[in-house]
Parts: sequence; C-alpha cells; structure tokens
Amino acid sequence: MMIKYIDWKVTIPRIVAAVPIAILVFIPVFSTSRDTLSIIILSGVWVIAAMGFAMILRTGQFSMGQAAFMAIGGYASAILTVKMGWSFWPSFFMAGVISGIIALIIGSVVLRVGNIYFSIITLSFGEIVRILAQNLEGITHGARGLIPPSPEPIVLGSFEINFDASVVPYYYFMILLVAITSLVFWQINRSRLGGTFFSLAANQILAEHQGIYLMKYRVIAFTVAGIFTGFAGAFYAHFLEIITPYMLGLWESIQIMIMSIVGGVSSLVAGPLVGAVLLKVLSVYLSRLPVYGIHALLFGGAVVLVLVFLPKGTGLIDLWKKFWRKVFNEPEWYEIPSIDE
Amino acid sequence: MSFLELTNVTKQFGRLSAIEDINLSVNQGEVLGIVGPNGSGKSTLINVMTSYYRPTSGSIYFKGRKISGLRPDKIAALGIARTFQSNILFEGATVLESVMVSAYLQYKTNNLQSFLRTKAYRDEYEKIVGKVLDLLKMLELFNDTFLPASGLSHGYQRMLGIAIALASGPKVLLLDEPTTGMNHEEAMFVVENIRKINETGVTVILIEHNMKVLLDLATRVAVLNFGIKIAEGKPKEVMNKREVIEAYLGTETI
Ligand SMILES: Nc1ncnc2c1ncn2[C@@H]1O[C@H](COP(=O)(O)OP(=O)(O)OP(=O)(O)O)[C@@H](O)[C@H]1O
Ligand SMILES: [Mg+2]
Repeated sequence: MMIKYIDWKVTIPRIVAAVPIAILVFIPVFSTSRDTLSIIILSGVWVIAAMGFAMILRTGQFSMGQAAFMAIGGYASAILTVKMGWSFWPSFFMAGVISGIIALIIGSVVLRVGNIYFSIITLSFGEIVRILAQNLEGITHGARGLIPPSPEPIVLGSFEINFDASVVPYYYFMILLVAITSLVFWQINRSRLGGTFFSLAANQILAEHQGIYLMKYRVIAFTVAGIFTGFAGAFYAHFLEIITPYMLGLWESIQIMIMSIVGGVSSLVAGPLVGAVLLKVLSVYLSRLPVYGIHALLFGGAVVLVLVFLPKGTGLIDLWKKFWRKVFNEPEWYEIPSIDE
Repeated sequence: MSFLELTNVTKQFGRLSAIEDINLSVNQGEVLGIVGPNGSGKSTLINVMTSYYRPTSGSIYFKGRKISGLRPDKIAALGIARTFQSNILFEGATVLESVMVSAYLQYKTNNLQSFLRTKAYRDEYEKIVGKVLDLLKMLELFNDTFLPASGLSHGYQRMLGIAIALASGPKVLLLDEPTTGMNHEEAMFVVENIRKINETGVTVILIEHNMKVLLDLATRVAVLNFGIKIAEGKPKEVMNKREVIEAYLGTETI
C-alpha cells in the first residue's frame, strides 16, 4: 500500500491560490456584463505580455519593446484576415509564428548587446514598428488602422459558439490562452531550461564558465516571449476590433515592464499574473475618476512603492511567500514553493 | 605538443602587463602549482586560460587545439573548469541548486526533451542528481544541501566553489587559491580532496600561497614574479632557487 505524504506547507497555499482562479473560471455564470468581463479579458492580454517580459529578464535583458511584439501579432493577424481574406484561426496562429520569427531574428542580432544598450535598442525597435505601421499605408491603412473581424463561430454539433453574440466566448478563449501560456512557462521554469535561465540571472559569469552559452538562452527566452506576446497582440486586435499604430507604443511597453516588476519576477507565472491583473483592474476603475494622468500616476506609484518598500528584486508575489512562511513559522530560508511550482 | 600549452601569452591592462610572454606546458594528470607574490599575475593566468580575459597576444592550446579566443562556455565544454579567487556564488540559490545548474554540461538530452520530460531526460536527471549528491558528500557539503549558499561559512563557500567547478565533469581543474582564509584543518581537507580528484585522472593547476599545501600536492611548480615566469620545476628545487627566494623576500616568508 502506498501512503501519499501530503506536505501541508505546500498544499494549503496552493488551495488558497486556487480559489480566486476557480472564481475567475465561473464568473460568466454569475455575470455576463460586458464591462466586467472585458476588464478581465483585457487583463489577460497583459498577463501574457508581462510573463514574456519576466522570462527575458531572467536572462539578464531588460526589454523595453514588448508592446511592439503585441503590435506585430495584432497587425499580422489583422492583415491576414482583412487583406488576405484568411479566416481567424489560421491568422491567429500565424500571428504567434510571425512574431516569434521576428523575435528570433531581431534577438539573434541585438541580444549580443547588454544592459542599458539592449533596452535602448528594443525601445527604438518599438518605435520602428510603429512608424512602419503608420507608413506602410498599402497594407496597414496607416494611421486609420485595420479593423479585424471577430473569430468565426465554432460549431459543435447543434451547439454554436458565437463571438459576436456576447463576450463570454472571448472570456473563455482568453482563459484558455492564459492557461496554455502559464503551463508552457511553468513547464519551462521547472525543466532544465528554467534552471539555466535562473543560473544566468543569479550569476552570469559563473554560469558561462560552467558551459552555458549566454546568447543561446537569451535568444530562446526572447523568442518564446515573442511568440506568446504575438498571440496576446492578435487577440487584443480582434477583441477590440481595431489595431492602429498608436495603440501599442512605448507607454504600453513600460506598462508591461511595470506589471511584471510590481507582481514580482522571482516567479515566471504567478508574479506577472498578479501584477498585470492588479494594475489593469485598478487602472480601469481609477480612470473613471476625473483626475488628469491618473493612469500614469497609478503605474508610476505602484512601481515606486514596490522598489522602495520591498527588498531588491522582489514583488508582491514574494509577500505571498513571506506570508506563508510566517503562518507556518518557518525560518527565512525555507522556500515555500511558489504557485508556479 | 603537450596536453595544455601556453605559448608567449601576454595580458596587458592598459600599460601594465599582468602576465608577459608566458610559455608553459601542462602534462596530463599532473598537479601543477603556480606561485608568486601578490599581484604577480597568477589569477590573470587562469583568467586568460578560461577566456575570462582574452590574452593580448600569444596562444593557448588544449589537446592540440587552439582555445585562446574561444568563449568561456566553449572552453568549459572542452573540459576545463575553474574556481575563482573570491567566493562567487549563484545569488539566491541553495547549495544543491548551485551544483545542479552547474552540472549543465553533463546532460546529453536536449532542452526539448527536458521540456517534454521524456523518459531519457528523467533517467538522466536522476543519474545527475545522484552524482551531484556524491559530490556534496565528498566535499562535506551534504548536511547543507538545502541551505542557501550565501549562508555557508567562508570555508564551506570555498568548498562549494570546488563542487561547482567539478560538477561540469572537467578533465582539467584550475583552482585559484582554494585554501585562502581556511584554518589548517580545513586546508588539509581540501588537500585530501584535490589529491582524490587528481587520482581520478583530472589534471590540476593550483594557485596556492600556502607552501605546505603546495609542497604536499604539486608534482611541478611554476613561479611568477611581476607577470614573468622566473622558475619552473620540482617543488623543493624551485623553492630553493635564489631568484625565487628574492622574489618572495619582503612580501612573503617561506
Ligand atoms: N581587471 C584588471 N584591470 C586592471 N588591472 C588588473 C586587472 N586584473 C588584474 N590586474 C592587475 O594585474 C596584476 C596581476 O593581478 P593578478 O590578480 O593576476 O595577481 P595575483 O598573482 O593573482 O595576485 P594575488 O596573489 O593577490 O591574487 C596586478 O597588478 C593587478 O592589479
Ligand atoms: Mg590572484
């Protein structure tokens, strides 16, 4: 007979974390309000982008152009559907592929450059993408942008999932997309790749002297982030039914960065998830206040608070771990496995 | 050509030559000691051998293949591992994690297999965990397996540095003052282990200030002074040479 040992110190935090996730999945049962669901759907887009940022940061690079990959994904899918007459699903798939390929090509060149220079280059890359979108009138419709259609209905026997009738199909599509992204990132994190990324973040020089080729892992991280950020961007464009050169610029890249940092980059999944959802939801509600620049104030304020009051390199998710350490009266070094694990 | 060979290797920092025109042959299986006063270029020698720095001029060959100019990870992959003079650790990692990520080169399965957790990967992973635990046992780090590396005492951090270098399964091990700051007992423990490692066929290059350690272990010694190799040979003979004694006078007592 096998007795499975249950480690409550791991299980209880997981059960508690599962509650909000379960609630999220069932929200449409209680409310199909377009407003409420849209907030969560849009949060999901940023969750994915923030996870990508966190993974790139693992390899020691600070990307300031992640919104550009959303734009690439959004435009790719919009051009394929509007201009080439493709249907939604293959276009959506290709958006991730194209964004990934561009990340791979750009990454292979610019990831060689370290630190602040990489940030400046990615920032410029974002601007280049915006200018191209603006000027390639023929395929992007310039400043007017493109109006991509909503996905075709999915027919399952007598049951039809219609994306035009309500936002609920989008809601579950987004939950699925976030779930798949989280699963892939989580699996990467616990595979040898995760260990390698970790070692590069923990001590790049030592890691290189142990035989790890820095560039290879930077390119892998950048490309994986590019693929999923591209999917997020395509979703964004189809959900909002518009993509213009001004939707995804530097400010959006900065938001992605702030979301991951506020949530905490010690975990690839849970930190960015918490940061993106929290900041997106707050910013939607706060922007209803009649205060000029409240959006920037929120993001700026949140990142300042986290950087000033939390120990270096930690975010809100680390407070969660700390909380459970206190609950179980564990010494500081006992690592409560994060929700990721 | 010998196992590992440096020919006319020079490394300059600005106008200062940290090492100058060094010719050095290392035989397979030996323990080569490197000595010299502070600032004589010992660490620089290891740093250019592992591409931490590129030599300003000259070449380094390993098994007949030119390795100077290769990336550090390539050199590690060829089987040359090193420790650092200061305690350099993976920030935030436990002892086990530090050594596990350092065993990177031991895997034959690729990243995709590891991502998909194929049977081949899981089997290999288990084998490597076993090897790493053996390594921790050998270096008396086993009791600290799950402790954060930064919490270890200085002596054990030095030991962890050796474990990290060994985790890659090297053929050549470069040790930069492994016993600094250790008490006699700890130093002797390190000596024992270096001997054991060497007996498994690993060639060792050992920078050491502690003469007792050096005379115990080294089969051959090279002496540096102001970046120049001033002597080379059997430990006892070299240490009695006039130039060597002069180089040390006023800076060290032998
Ligand atoms: N990165 C650097 N930049 C400038 N000068 C350097 C650098 N690294 C070493 N040096 C200089 O090169 C010379 C040799 O240094 P090195 O560290 O190799 O000496 P060492 O023999 O290892 O000394 P110690 O016994 O103190 O470890 C010293 O004068 C040192 O100041
Ligand atoms: Mg030195």
